[in-house]
Amino acid sequence: MAKRAGYSVIENVRRALGRTAGAAVEARPAVLAPRQAGSIEAEIDSLIKEINALSGSAQRVSEDDLNQVLKGLLQTQEVKKATLWQTAGLADLGLEGRLREMGVEIMSPHADKYVLAECDLGVTEVDFALPETGTLGLLSSQDKPRAVSLLPRVHLAILRPAALRADLHDVFAEAKDQGYLILITGPSRTADIELTVTLGVHGPQALYVWVYSG
Amino acid sequence: MNQEAHISETPTYIGFGDYSTHVPGNIPTAVQQATDRFLSTRAARVAEKANWEELRRAAHEIRLHTLLHLDSYLEQVERQVTKAGGHVHWAREAAEARTIVIDIAKRHNVKTAVKVKSMATEEIGLNHALETAGIQAYETDLGEFIIQLAGSGPSHIIVPAVHMKKEEVATLFREKLGVEAPADPLRLAAIARATLRERFLTAEMGVSGANFLVAETGTLVIVSNEGNGRMCTTLPNLHVAVVGIDKVVPDWDSLTVLLNLLARSATGQKLSAYTSFITGPRREEGENGPQEFHLVLLDNGRSRVLQDPVGRETLKCIRCGCCLNVCPVYKSVGGYAYGWFISGPIGAIFSPQILGVEAARELPFASSLCGACADVCPVKIPIPHILLHLRRRVVEGDQFESPAAPAVLRTGARLGRLALATPWLYRLGTRLLPLLQVPLKRDGWLPALPPPLNRWTKVRPLPAFAGRFRQWWGKRQGIRDRV
Amino acid sequence: MPIKAQLFITCLAEQFYPQVLVQMVDLLERLGVNVEFPPEQTCCGQPMFNSGFQSEARGIATQWLRAFSRSEAAIVSPSGSCVDMVRHHYPAMFPEGTPEHELARELAGRTFEFSEFLVHSLKVTDVGAYFPHKVTYHASCHLLRGLGLREEAKQLLSAVHDLELVPLADEETCCGFGGMFSVIYPEVSRAMMEAKVRNIMASGAGAVVACDAGCLMNIAGGLRKVGSQVRALHLIEVLAAQGGAS
Repeated sequence: MAKRAGYSVIENVRRALGRTAGAAVEARPAVLAPRQAGSIEAEIDSLIKEINALSGSAQRVSEDDLNQVLKGLLQTQEVKKATLWQTAGLADLGLEGRLREMGVEIMSPHADKYVLAECDLGVTEVDFALPETGTLGLLSSQDKPRAVSLLPRVHLAILRPAALRADLHDVFAEAKDQGYLILITGPSRTADIELTVTLGVHGPQALYVWVYSG
Repeated sequence: MNQEAHISETPTYIGFGDYSTHVPGNIPTAVQQATDRFLSTRAARVAEKANWEELRRAAHEIRLHTLLHLDSYLEQVERQVTKAGGHVHWAREAAEARTIVIDIAKRHNVKTAVKVKSMATEEIGLNHALETAGIQAYETDLGEFIIQLAGSGPSHIIVPAVHMKKEEVATLFREKLGVEAPADPLRLAAIARATLRERFLTAEMGVSGANFLVAETGTLVIVSNEGNGRMCTTLPNLHVAVVGIDKVVPDWDSLTVLLNLLARSATGQKLSAYTSFITGPRREEGENGPQEFHLVLLDNGRSRVLQDPVGRETLKCIRCGCCLNVCPVYKSVGGYAYGWFISGPIGAIFSPQILGVEAARELPFASSLCGACADVCPVKIPIPHILLHLRRRVVEGDQFESPAAPAVLRTGARLGRLALATPWLYRLGTRLLPLLQVPLKRDGWLPALPPPLNRWTKVRPLPAFAGRFRQWWGKRQGIRDRV
Repeated sequence: MPIKAQLFITCLAEQFYPQVLVQMVDLLERLGVNVEFPPEQTCCGQPMFNSGFQSEARGIATQWLRAFSRSEAAIVSPSGSCVDMVRHHYPAMFPEGTPEHELARELAGRTFEFSEFLVHSLKVTDVGAYFPHKVTYHASCHLLRGLGLREEAKQLLSAVHDLELVPLADEETCCGFGGMFSVIYPEVSRAMMEAKVRNIMASGAGAVVACDAGCLMNIAGGLRKVGSQVRALHLIEVLAAQGGAS
């Protein structure tokens, strides 16, 4: 029945267009040339500027000030519980250890969704970053669960400069076969009530992006 | 007829004339504020993009190319989604689509579903059907959540509850949710967040549409700002997407053009807060996301529209809402007057082609043909051209449909043509009118005329008829003007 | 060799603005144009066409082609929408390859709106007019978007001696006339007209100028309805104004 309906829709389309089954498809019309990247520092400056303009909180962070900045975030956002991606990059930074030392309870990112919903902070890395729009691209896998950047109130994204990409074109080339990609441009927002912009409707209310270069 | 409550059911007749004269007073002002805001932010985004016109041209070409090869791309969609572990269903029309979704829900014992804003699901009246089948369907976009509670329809494509003041929303939340609700947008959003969080976590099924459907990999693209789009497509174990067959794009590269245009045109953002790219169900257990994914491809008259070389450009639409924002007609009446889930200039050309001219004959005339919409449409839909094309269908009929206008109108037009194409008749009329008007003339004006000309004079006076140019010219040329 | 021009007076201007047509003749002759008036002209068929009666409109268009094809001269009209009709819709109304189609294309190629004719054909922007008043300009939709004429009328107004051109809020927003639209949906037309009138009155101008009789009828009626003293004038009336007289 479903098969018949399928053939029926496609057949209707074919007949409407005057095409036959297996007819060739001409080349898709051209897209525009992709943006070229500037210097790394300029790209990072642009990324930080765009994210902050969207009420996100972006800055450069080094090994020297990581603990201090982390403490600041935990205080400002009153973080009690956190969950993290289980990636090598975060492990290298010892982020989980630092948080525990600062008194934060760490929940497994594979815990029940109700548990994750109780977390104040979700920490991820960034797979791709687009400076022109201040956009973060996150993939998804066993080590990179989607809910970590979605359920907790606050999302902290650790970005290494290697994630920078000049253009959507570059991101898509790498991400298209990965099964899932989320592009995040600023914190969650709405203007549905009298056009008043409100942050943090369903997704995280606060977005922190730390550009870490060691 | 209470057009608000019935806005999501397939209409049998859209009385734009009637609806547009019964617009609640708050709607035009609210709509005007929303559209002004979106247009000013859009202007800044367009100014930033030196290649804006190039982008529009590329978008038009890519969308048209896709429509002209849609059969092949649909086959590719089915192959790719299936390969990714999803299930593909085909719905020839709305009822079939509803049945498919309800069957899937019943098979999975779904009690509650959470929905992302989806015009396709409004088109098929899914919510009402789910409720009838005993399944609670919760809208989760704040604006949709509000109008669902209020039991009314959307006044704008992007901000459906823009016509409601914060005090009204507070009252609504107090009455329907039984919570303390202050008239403050931030606090109201917080209440919605808390209420819906529970629903996101417990719902068995997430329902969405898609902004684009990428044939290359069978990927759904969902553009949103609030995060509910992510919630609905990540938390429940079952995800069902209802997508019009016109949403297909060939490949990811096409998206680089379309995504550069969509948010800028809709709200003046560079990109929306969240753009999700979903290919089938989750691949690994621990990554989150649905275990099962169903794609319902909806025809509902689109394949028929493809036959019409003029009308089919309507299907290039990427639902940005920009044509609404610039339309002086839409801004005067809001979304309800267009009688269905889709309003403004795009509604005026979409609805008559899908519903037919019998039902939607008033819509192609709901325009002064000012052309502002065509100037801004990111995919260059020639809306005024299509409106004229559909007006002909309504009154004369064409190869696709018989006329819906009564025969007496055709006769009247024939007589009109006779008068206007026969110089001596026309000249006679020109000389007679200044004489006939004498009893009605006041100070060089005609403030009141009998029907049907009172349709003009009830709004403002008509200047007095003064067709004396030919006499002037004749005297001047020393030639007697013969009648 | 003096330039010749056929007058395409348009049905609305003929019925309601004869003084504009007389002034148009005077002005063109002062600029050295040899003016002709094809007597068989009636209407371009736009109201019929826009109402969907395209086959009836074709009959009217055929008459228009007959009237204007007797002379080789350019065709000049004081209406952007009528010129848009001829230029963009006439050729497509007749099947390709037919003599009517060829005739329509030929005539469409030499049909001009008045401000377009002055600025681009006669290469004139200063016609020696004198109009010492504050004036604002409403950009008629078909002139603006159909014919792409954004600057010409304003250029001509700027050259008028002692005329002060003040901006109009939402200058490019439709006034609500839309031909048949004004009588098919009068209440929506009313809302649009009232918005335009409010903006005109807020501009501080003593007169609003437009290049289309339809817009002028609508706006003038709207201004009169609210008892405003602001005048609604065709561009030609301002350009024809000479020292002292207005």
